[in-house]
Amino acid sequence: MTTPQVTPVVPAPSLAPAVVDLRGIRKVYAQGDVIFEALRGVDVQIMPGEMVALMGPSGSGKTTLMQIIGLLDRPSEGGYRLGGRDVTTLSENERAAARNTEIGFVFQAFHLLPRLNLVENVEVPLTYAGVPPRERRERAMQVLARVGLADKARNLPSQISGGQKQRVAVARALAGRPRLLLADEPTGNLDTRTSEEVMGLFSDLHAEGTTVVLVTHEDDIGAYAGRVIRVRDGLIESDRRQTPRRGLGGHP
Amino acid sequence: MTTRPLPQTGAAAPTPAAVPRRGGIGLGGAFTIAWRAIVGTPLRSVLTALGVIIGVAAVVALTAIGQGSTAGVTKNLESLGTNLLTVQSARGGGGGSLVRAGPRQTITVADAEALAGAFLDRVAGVAPSVNSNLQAKVGTNNAQVSVVGTWPAYETVRNSPVETGAYFTDADVSGRKRVAVIGHQTLLDLFGDGTEGSATPEQAIGQKVRLGSVTFTVSGVLPDKGNSGFGNANSQVLIPLSTYLQRFSRTNSAGGQPTVSTVYLQATDAKDLTGLQSDVTDLLMTRHDLTDPDSLDFQVQNQADSLASLNSITNTLTLFVGAIAGISLLVGGIGIMNIMLVSVTERTREIGVRKALGARPRDILTQFLVEASLLSIGGGVIGMLLGVALAFGGKALNITPVFSLPPMLIAFAFSALVGVFFGYYPAARAAKLDPVDSLRYE
Repeated sequence: MTTPQVTPVVPAPSLAPAVVDLRGIRKVYAQGDVIFEALRGVDVQIMPGEMVALMGPSGSGKTTLMQIIGLLDRPSEGGYRLGGRDVTTLSENERAAARNTEIGFVFQAFHLLPRLNLVENVEVPLTYAGVPPRERRERAMQVLARVGLADKARNLPSQISGGQKQRVAVARALAGRPRLLLADEPTGNLDTRTSEEVMGLFSDLHAEGTTVVLVTHEDDIGAYAGRVIRVRDGLIESDRRQTPRRGLGGHP
Repeated sequence: MTTRPLPQTGAAAPTPAAVPRRGGIGLGGAFTIAWRAIVGTPLRSVLTALGVIIGVAAVVALTAIGQGSTAGVTKNLESLGTNLLTVQSARGGGGGSLVRAGPRQTITVADAEALAGAFLDRVAGVAPSVNSNLQAKVGTNNAQVSVVGTWPAYETVRNSPVETGAYFTDADVSGRKRVAVIGHQTLLDLFGDGTEGSATPEQAIGQKVRLGSVTFTVSGVLPDKGNSGFGNANSQVLIPLSTYLQRFSRTNSAGGQPTVSTVYLQATDAKDLTGLQSDVTDLLMTRHDLTDPDSLDFQVQNQADSLASLNSITNTLTLFVGAIAGISLLVGGIGIMNIMLVSVTERTREIGVRKALGARPRDILTQFLVEASLLSIGGGVIGMLLGVALAFGGKALNITPVFSLPPMLIAFAFSALVGVFFGYYPAARAAKLDPVDSLRYE
């Protein structure tokens, strides 16, 4: 089983280290006697300011790859440098700290905490970072304003639409000023129009310099990225650059 | 969608230098999260803490009522006099039923005189007493009273001094004088309309009172002793023993000798009480021609014995209450653990989200531990208030509750410990949850 890596991307010369630098990543799940190899040796470098779509059919390993990049899961084998720092040997507490400060997550199911209002939801990562309450509120309001929901700050998640929920989730991901925005099927629960709205937001953030990694199986969504990495059977099938589609938010 | 540039994100600020110290949420943050979870589901929170509430309330109420009744009984016992020996008739032969035999009186006045003579230097006083219920009359007022024939030493031996006037004297006894010391309620009944304040002791002194068909002169009035004593001390009328035997004695005789129902002896030294008890027994055995200490026609009781047996009953009860309370707190703790486990399962997704957003295992552990502790401490506080309220309900049983700090503090501390102890396992389970699995949890 050999799937060749087509058109490997040569990282653009930059003084800054790669945001994500994965070398020879393997992930093996063992359940009883059955051994399943989700990733079979993956190398990926993502440079600062890139917007990358991780694509592939379900079972391809893209979700596992996303979880490893997001420090939610550990590779069975291989090296991972996040922003130049080796994160393969971090303890559970250090990984939590790294997730808190380096990565902003956006999930398919939004995952807002139902009992907290919007601004409190956005504050959650700042709380774990130990940011004092006043500054926390200020920064949370800032990012809420950035996604255009400052006026709904006191609403509960149940009182807003799905598209708005995802924008709050983006605000929450941005609140800690992370190195990397990691979105797992961010439009999976949205209709076409709100999908375009949310993708527009990602495009704008990317245009402002945010590094974004999208996980998706939809070509429409992958089209927003400047680089598409296709994963198949635990290996990288292709990695190519493209001209990204512009979002609804329309950046000049 | 409005587009405003952000101050700094991602590549614009590759080093997250703006992020300050990483101290986690700390206790304050955990408190806030836990508090919101608790008040978010108030009914469930109260039900969760109910076991602890009931346990603590039971401890506080039962100990307060128990101590209240113990204090009441002890006070009554002590109000009868201190260092007291009580000699009473008992049916000879032992083992038989006291009830069927009836109180055949065996203690004679001569016995009392002999005891007074033999232990002159060891007793502060000897007071034989015999009593019966009679009608007392002053003018048209009348009252049912307990007439007690005794010696003047009754005042010190039974710790029953007069409020006004004086006791009868030894001379009154030898002269069989018709003088009387009356109780507080008797004063009110005979010289007033029976209500508090309707008569003063002074107006009774020197007045005539008819007891049955005999007229007595009031020489003294006893103070109000409260209505919680054995018998009603406020309805007593004390008269000289000799007068009683002459005027009221009916069948009280043993072989022609006048008898009394009880002889009280007060030891001068509390340490001599036990020694005196056996010496009194020996003397009376000799006087009654008895050799078998297991079949006596009298019994000598030691007040300290009564107090000791009361204390041992109280201690047993306290232990019992403590055990019940401990069990209910244990059950309460298990209730908390149960709901916390459910809560952790229900909030698996929330835990996953929090972990993804940077909660360390320790942060999650703290959050759930604080929640369990808040529930049990809150239950402890509510239980304590409820217990105090219940204890005051004990007043309906004529028991004044006595609150003491130690049982309350112990119950409270125990309830807090229960929270930490039974909250730890669910909290540790929450902390150990895998973020990938818990995010996927439906």
